[in-house]
Parts: sequence; C-alpha cells; structure tokens
Amino acid sequence: MSLSPVDGAAPAEIGASGSAGGAGPVVGRSPGQLTWMRLRRDRTAQVSGAMLVLFVLVALAAPLIELAYGIGPRDQFQGKLDGAGMPLGYAGGVSGEHFFGLEPGLGRDIFIRLVYGLRTSLFIAGTAAVLTAAIGVVLGALAGYLGGWLDAVVNWLTDLTLAMPFLVIALALTPTLTLRFYGQRDAVPPAFGVGVLIAIFAGFGWTSTARLVRGQVIALREREFVAAARASGAGLGHMLFRQLLPNIWAPILVSFSLAVPQFVTGEAALSFIGVGLTEDTPSFGRMIYQSLDYLQTDPAFVFFPGATIFALVFAFNLFGDALRDALDPKSSR
Amino acid sequence: MRPHVATAMGVAVALVATLGACSENTGESATVDTGRQQTGVIATDPKDSLGPAPAVAGARAGGTVTVIRETPISHLDPQRTYSFVGLMVSPLFARFLTTWKDDGEGNLVLVGDLAETPGTDVNDDCKVWEFTIKDGVKFEDGRPVTAKEIGYGIARSFDPDLTGGPTYLQEWLADTPQYDTAWDFRANRNALPPGLSTPDEKTLRFEFAKPRCDLPFAVSLPTTAPLPPDRDTGINLGHAPFSSGPYRVSRYQAGVEVVLERNEHWDAATDPVRHQYPDRFVWTFGSTPDAAVNRVIADNGTDQSALSWDYVPASLVSRVAGDAGLRSRTVLSPTPSANQLLINNQRVTDLRVRQALNYAIDRQGLVKVLGGQHVAAPMSTLMPSATIGHQPYDAYPAGPNGDLDKARELLGGQTPELVLGAADSSAEQRQATQLKGNLERAGFRITIRNIPADAKLDEIKRKDNPWDLYLGSWAADWPSGASILPVLYDGRSIKATGNSNQAYFDDPAINAEFDRILALPPAEQAAEWAELDERIMREHAPVVPLYVDVAYLVHGSKVGGVFVSSVFGYPSFVNAHVKP
Repeated sequence: MSLSPVDGAAPAEIGASGSAGGAGPVVGRSPGQLTWMRLRRDRTAQVSGAMLVLFVLVALAAPLIELAYGIGPRDQFQGKLDGAGMPLGYAGGVSGEHFFGLEPGLGRDIFIRLVYGLRTSLFIAGTAAVLTAAIGVVLGALAGYLGGWLDAVVNWLTDLTLAMPFLVIALALTPTLTLRFYGQRDAVPPAFGVGVLIAIFAGFGWTSTARLVRGQVIALREREFVAAARASGAGLGHMLFRQLLPNIWAPILVSFSLAVPQFVTGEAALSFIGVGLTEDTPSFGRMIYQSLDYLQTDPAFVFFPGATIFALVFAFNLFGDALRDALDPKSSR
Repeated sequence: MRPHVATAMGVAVALVATLGACSENTGESATVDTGRQQTGVIATDPKDSLGPAPAVAGARAGGTVTVIRETPISHLDPQRTYSFVGLMVSPLFARFLTTWKDDGEGNLVLVGDLAETPGTDVNDDCKVWEFTIKDGVKFEDGRPVTAKEIGYGIARSFDPDLTGGPTYLQEWLADTPQYDTAWDFRANRNALPPGLSTPDEKTLRFEFAKPRCDLPFAVSLPTTAPLPPDRDTGINLGHAPFSSGPYRVSRYQAGVEVVLERNEHWDAATDPVRHQYPDRFVWTFGSTPDAAVNRVIADNGTDQSALSWDYVPASLVSRVAGDAGLRSRTVLSPTPSANQLLINNQRVTDLRVRQALNYAIDRQGLVKVLGGQHVAAPMSTLMPSATIGHQPYDAYPAGPNGDLDKARELLGGQTPELVLGAADSSAEQRQATQLKGNLERAGFRITIRNIPADAKLDEIKRKDNPWDLYLGSWAADWPSGASILPVLYDGRSIKATGNSNQAYFDDPAINAEFDRILALPPAEQAAEWAELDERIMREHAPVVPLYVDVAYLVHGSKVGGVFVSSVFGYPSFVNAHVKP
C-alpha cells in the first residue's frame, strides 16, 4: 500500500533492477531513484509527461507566441464572418493567418485565445491544486497523527465543507465580494476573478486530500518505525514531515495530478455561470461552453478548444496513473 | 487498453470536425426585409369589423397544433396578461373590445372585436368614448356577451390581487397611477370604476378627465376581455379562464401543458379576425429552444404539426438558414422590439460625447455577435420601423461599421471614460465585449461593470444608478409613437425607482411637444411622432439606437397559416391550420 522501508518488495526490486542494469555488484537505490527509473521505462509516462511540459511551456510563452503570431487575444476580425456571424471559408475559418479559425460572432482568433486560455486555466488549476494539497496534507496529517479533539474538529470541518452547497455559495459570494472590494464604477481586474476562483477551489477542494492523508497516517502511526522515532524523542514536526509524510507521497501526488484536470473543467463551468472570469479574459472554460452551442453549425469551433482540453486532461490523468504505478508498483494492474 | 480508447475518441472527434468542415462557407443566405413600412389605420368603415374573417387559402378544419416553448405561461387570466406569449395565446379564448387585423407583413387595421366599430369619440376631444357591442357574441356556456360583462372585466383589473396586466385603462379612468387606491374593486364588486358606465346592454362608455386619444389601441389589450361576475374565480381564473373566443381551455397542467379545444358557442359570423380550423391547440413546456427547434426540424410524427415558440437560437441560425429545404417551414420577420445602448443623460451631459457614441457604433458587428441578420436588424431611429408612421432617417450616419474618424473628431482629442453596466449573462457579456472593443477604437475608454443578470433591470431603473451606458430594450403595447416616445423620453415622469425613461432624458421643449401631440386625434399623430423622433435624435442624441429583434421561427411541415404578429413580433395563431 505504501512505500515504507520495511516493505519486502523494495529490496527485491532493487536486486532485480540492479542485475538488469549490468553485471556489476548490487547497486543500492533510493525510492526516488527507483521511481524515476520506472517512469523512464514507461512509454505512457514519457509521452504524457512530454505533453504536459509542452502545455506548460506554451502557457508560459504566451506573450512571445503572440509576438510571433501577430494577433492578440482581443483582436476582432468580423470582416471575415458572414452575415450570420459565422466564419467564412473552410473549417470555421482556418487559414494560414488564423491557424484554428475564428470564433463565431465576435470574430476573435481561436489559436491565440487558446494559448492565453491555457495560461489562465493552468495557473488557476495549478495554484488551486497546490493549495488544496497543502491544506489537505497539513490538516489530514495533524488530525491523523494527533487524534483526539483535533481529529474531531478536523473531521467536523470536513463534513461541514462537504455539506455546504458549493455552487450556491460560489454564486452568492462572488458579487458580494466584488462589491466589498470594488466600487460600482470600478473596473474589476481579471486577477480578482482568478483569485476568487482559486479561493473557491481551495476552500472546497481540500476535503478529499485531508481524508486521504488522515487515513494513511492513522494506518502508519502504530508502525514500528514510527514508534521507534517517537521513542527516540522526535518532535511533532519531525514525526510528520520526516517519518510519516515521505511514506504517503504516492497517494498525495496522484490525488494532486487528478485534481488539476478537475479544476480545469471546474473553472470552465464556473466561468460560464458568471463566477470568476469575465468574457474579456481568455479562458478555456468560457470558450468550451460557448462553443458547445455551435456543435451543429460550426464544429471546428468545438473541435479546437475541445481537443486541447481533452489532450490536457488526458495527459494529466495518464501521467497521474503512470506516477502512481511508478511510486507503488505492487498495486498496479 | 486505455490508449486505444483514447485513440478511438480522438478519431471520433476529428471525424465530427472534418464532416462539418468539408463545405466552404461563402456567406450566402436569405435576407430579411427590414425596410418594410408599417401601415396602420383605425377602421372607419364598420364593415371592416364584421365577421367572418376571410377564409385562409388551403386551410381545412381538423388536426392538432402543438406549440413547444421553454418556459410555462405563468397564467391565462386575461386581465393579468402582459407577456408576449399571453398576448398571443389569449385571442384564442378571449375577445376584446377592439383587435388588429394583421396580414403579418406590416399592414394593420384596428377593427372592432366585441364592439361594432373601434370606438366613437363622442365630443371629438378624446375624453368621452363609446363602444357599441355586437349582437350574437356568446360565452362558452352560450350566454350572450353584453357591455356589463366587459365592464366587469375592466373593473376586476383594479383588484390589487390581480396584478401583472397592462394598467392603461385603470390609470386613465382613475386619472392617477395609484388607481387601486382611487377605486377599491373589492368593496364595489357590483359597481363599475369611475368614468366607466353601461348606459344600456349594448353600450360601453368611457369618460376621462384628460384626452385619451389612444383609447382604441389600449382596448385591444386583454384587459377588455369580458367575464360574467358569477364566473370570477379571482386568482384561480388563471387556470381556467371563461372563454368568449373560438377555443376554451380544456386542460391546464401548471408548468407542463395547456390544451385548448373548440368552443362551440363561438360564432364566426361575429369575428373579423379569428378562425377555428384546428380541433385543438396543445402547448407543451420545458424544451430548451435548441431542443425544440431540432425537434421541429426533424419533423417526425406529431411534430409535423408543431411550432417552436422560441426563435431559432443564434447558434442554430446558420444551419436553419443554410438548409433550402427548410425555407418553406420558416417564418422570418422583423419585430417591434427595439434595442438601444442607453446613455445615462444625468451623467453624460456633453452632447458631443453622445453624438460621438452614435457615430462610433458598429451595428453590423453587433448584429454578427447576436447571430446575424436572422436575429437582429440594425436600426438608427428611436421608434422601430414597425411603428405606424415611422420614417427612416439616420441622424448620425455611421455606415454599417461606424464612422470612427467622425467620432474622434467630435471628441476633439478627449478620451471620455465611460462605465458600461452589463448583465453577467453569457449573451450580454458578449455584446458588452463587442461594444467595448468598438467604442475604444473610436477613442472612448470603456469599463465593463458586471451586474447580476436578475437584478440588472431593477438597477438601471433606479434614477441614481452609477453607470454611464447600459443596454435596454422596449417593445410597445401598440404600434403608435404615443406608446414609445412619451413613455421613454418624458423627463417629467422620472422617479426614484422603476423608471421607463432609463436614459433619464429631460428636456422642457420636448416634454411640451409630447403634450401637444398626445392631444391630437390618433390619425394625425403618426406623422408628428416620426418628426419628433428625428428631432430628439438630432438635437439631443439621448441614446444610441442599435437594432430591432428579428423573429425567426421554424414549424413542422403540416402547419399552415402561422405568421408573426406585426404588433408584438411573436407567432399569431388566428389563421393557424393543419395541412392534411
């Protein structure tokens, strides 16, 4: 279940890989090295990992791409739309100038909006996932290790958060928050919407990680190595971060890699119902939900953002799977 | 295993995309006749008000017409009816004092419905009006309709429990907007409100303190539907209205279905506009416009005689318009719903800024955002072209895409910072984005401020709302300038909340003009309203006229006779029939 030093599988694996590596003597490897080795041997992990790196690079280089492409995310090309606001030409207006064609109606370039949307979405999802993981790990580990009243309080908090109607609160809170920070005539910067979305995701998303970590920690805390560390007088910090946490990284990493695509789609849904980002900010979410209406009339508009989010989420999920396999080969298949 | 699934899905998605993409879009499709002139008259010849209505070519009796609509009709009580759907369905089961003879192409004649003529102005001062009731008009139980029941119908509209309907008659009779305090219906159930009387069974008489020259138009609204006092079930009348028209409500399932069946006591010989071709009308609620339109296009089974009440959604327009086979099954018509970019005249006091906004506007671009010419048609006048007497003009010729140079010249190097209040609904956000880009190209600095969609209307109706620009629309209750210009631009009517004058425009000279024209006989008013329309725009530019909604409907292959009402812009059912 977890990579504890006393697991019988680990020495066996070390021996096996050592003999496969060459005729030399048995080589000792840390669990990290082992994981890295298994990942490198896994083709799925390689491909999905490369795709993720590519996505992150594209997102980071958005302004450079805009410079090279010559079109901004807010530029409109309505002259290239027909009377009904549909892009002229083939496949939703795909051309040498507009790689992925144009949006119906507003006539903005889909490619550059996807590039910028990728940046927004990855930033929101990444930050929210890190925050959720951090909150979840700290609360879960504390509750699981210390138990007692703290465990009761954390459990109670988790139940409360799970019971709260997420959408209703998000919908009710956003306009109130906006009015709290900005006057009736002030422009609301996109960063505020991004912040609200991250806060909502972090506020509601930590529960599953916390439960997971708590369960893992409870399972570990009576083990011999933990008892030994406790007997030698280790402090709370050492117990949590040196003894317990390294043994439960696998499920945390997996839940992290699965949370990111979940937040990408979550941002899509929330932006669409008016929480978070405005129309002005290029966002995956808005684009995909708007494009769904055009499935029958402009399938290309659905295809490009759809294929991109499909690839992104798929890569994340595959990589998450591969990572899990690499961290914990015993439970695979 | 999983990579295979992924490949399969990827291939499927790619296939869908290529299938849709293999034809080139060259931008050709049908166009809507938006330049058509509305002609409207009040019938002077009593023969026009006589039944029966001329037979519809090729129409046969029998069959069921199904109407598919997303939201339910809130209720069917005629005195509380003000929604478009209510206004279009109520003529099937209720008759009014007057009604519009409408060919669906802008030619309107106001004729007597229950009345023999569209009203007699007794002293030629618009203060005393008389209506003579026709013989042979019956309720669904066979009782004759007399002036008493019409008077009772108007009287019950004073009941504060029965809100939601138009309030013209009540306010005019009581001569105050607080009509329900001026006359208490519940304490005087057997009496008629002040100013309303029935000298005999066949005569209904209105006496007003002020000239009310639009009365013949106002009594075409469902407020004048007759009701015998013993059949008044109060708020429950909305589920089972008492019929005087060609159909009666045989089934009312709240939020699900309304079924209308023939009323055998209705006499075609008394009715100048209605027919009784289908055996029944069935209204079903719940389908989204997308689903309804797709159902009707598929044309299967009972859907062959179905009609989608909601217009073809913008995202499906190009599909419906591009399919030549559907052309005979669609109805395309401009409507009287006018949309403007309202300028808050209290805040934007500089005339040149308002004029620059008018020069800068890119109407063609906005229409494309809305879904194209099948959804909206550009407009440069205050009154929509469907108004009687409307004269086209363009006070600030902006061309299809806006005259940015002219706008910059007017601004003289300034960059006015304006805040555009926009509902946070997806559709309005897109329009706001378009307007922001458009106006910023002309030198304005636009900030979009989101307003929760459900609160937006109340917010912009507040006099001291904080925004400079917002989108607004107005659909008149009858196609006369009197129900548009004084309502929207009379500065004396501005109050703290609930304003119709959302531009908060107030000019004493224009206010005086309103009074002068309102006192003229209706036939003479039309030209004067058109003239005043242009004068307001040229002298004050209080708003930026944007577009009129275009009705684009699709119906099953067996539906005939459905046309778009020239008065309300929604499908009319008086000529509907089912083809064999």
